[in-house]
Amino acid sequence: MREETLAIIFGMAVVTFLPRFLPMAFLTRWVVPERLKMGLGYVPTAILSAIVFPILFFNEGGKVVIQPLYLLSAVSVFIFSWKVKRLWASVILGMLVYWGLEFIM
Amino acid sequence: MTNNHPFREGAKDALPVVLGYLPVGVAFGLLARNAGITPSEVGLMSFLVYAGASQFLAIEMIDQRMTWVPIVLATFFINLRHFLMSSNLSLYLKNTRLSLLGLLSAQLTDESFAVATSNLSKVKNNPHYVLGLQITSHLAWVIGSIGGALFGPFIKISEYGLPFALPSLFICLLVFQLKSVRHFGIMVVGGISSLFFKWALQGNWHILLAALLAGGIGVGVEIISGKQKAKGEKQEGQG
Repeated sequence: MREETLAIIFGMAVVTFLPRFLPMAFLTRWVVPERLKMGLGYVPTAILSAIVFPILFFNEGGKVVIQPLYLLSAVSVFIFSWKVKRLWASVILGMLVYWGLEFIM
Repeated sequence: MTNNHPFREGAKDALPVVLGYLPVGVAFGLLARNAGITPSEVGLMSFLVYAGASQFLAIEMIDQRMTWVPIVLATFFINLRHFLMSSNLSLYLKNTRLSLLGLLSAQLTDESFAVATSNLSKVKNNPHYVLGLQITSHLAWVIGSIGGALFGPFIKISEYGLPFALPSLFICLLVFQLKSVRHFGIMVVGGISSLFFKWALQGNWHILLAALLAGGIGVGVEIISGKQKAKGEKQEGQG
């Protein structure tokens, strides 16, 4: 392996590890106030919506677009997982709807 | 307590993530190979760094003949978002050995975090569940990457709806989080502000900024409503 590539890989590994590790290392050893804990319960919702919306409304070139294929598939998964509450089934359904719509559109 | 069972449970719950990681890993391996990275380097990067978005960006930057300093800096900023997830998971992993926490946090990704937070009862004080979930996902990413680097040109990864596997996973896990009207509110704030930040800023800041904003509002609302409730109870007590 080449030195430059190794420097890139190890550098990336270190700077990726630190923000993953430090909060866990310190906060597990700290008693978190109850209210703050309840507030942190919203963090997964905040992170997931911050990930999902741009997937739906931006194309690969980073432009804002309306993508019917993505939106219709997303709405199907949303409704299905709301009703059925199964991760596996929802992922398979999303793939099938997307695949099917690809043929039609 | 047997450690074997929760580990297997975690590995099982990782399967939807595996379904998403394999094709994306293959895509990564393929692109990395095209940018002149060898299959063993691809495998090492996926094993040690294990953060999709930053790996794709690194390949792009390597392709543009950039040196390690800007690549490592860009990686740091893209992956900074994990500190929020790490903070959140820490609530459920008290009394876990530091060495085990090191291993768990090294494998923390958006997807494994998302699955973990939808199974909090299994996560609570059960690091081996998280370990099973994450090792399985990590393995899929490494295998997919190496596979893509070796056999990329012969594999069709854009078929069978595979490009929508990870979006489906995220949407479903988001739905699982929506337990109250407040959660819906947080979703709207997080989603729309993320769109705004992505539109307004270059790079990958939008997830971190939107999550901080929406999460911050969530914490604020809880603290304020908690105070009002305490105040109301106090007044009732006086009356």
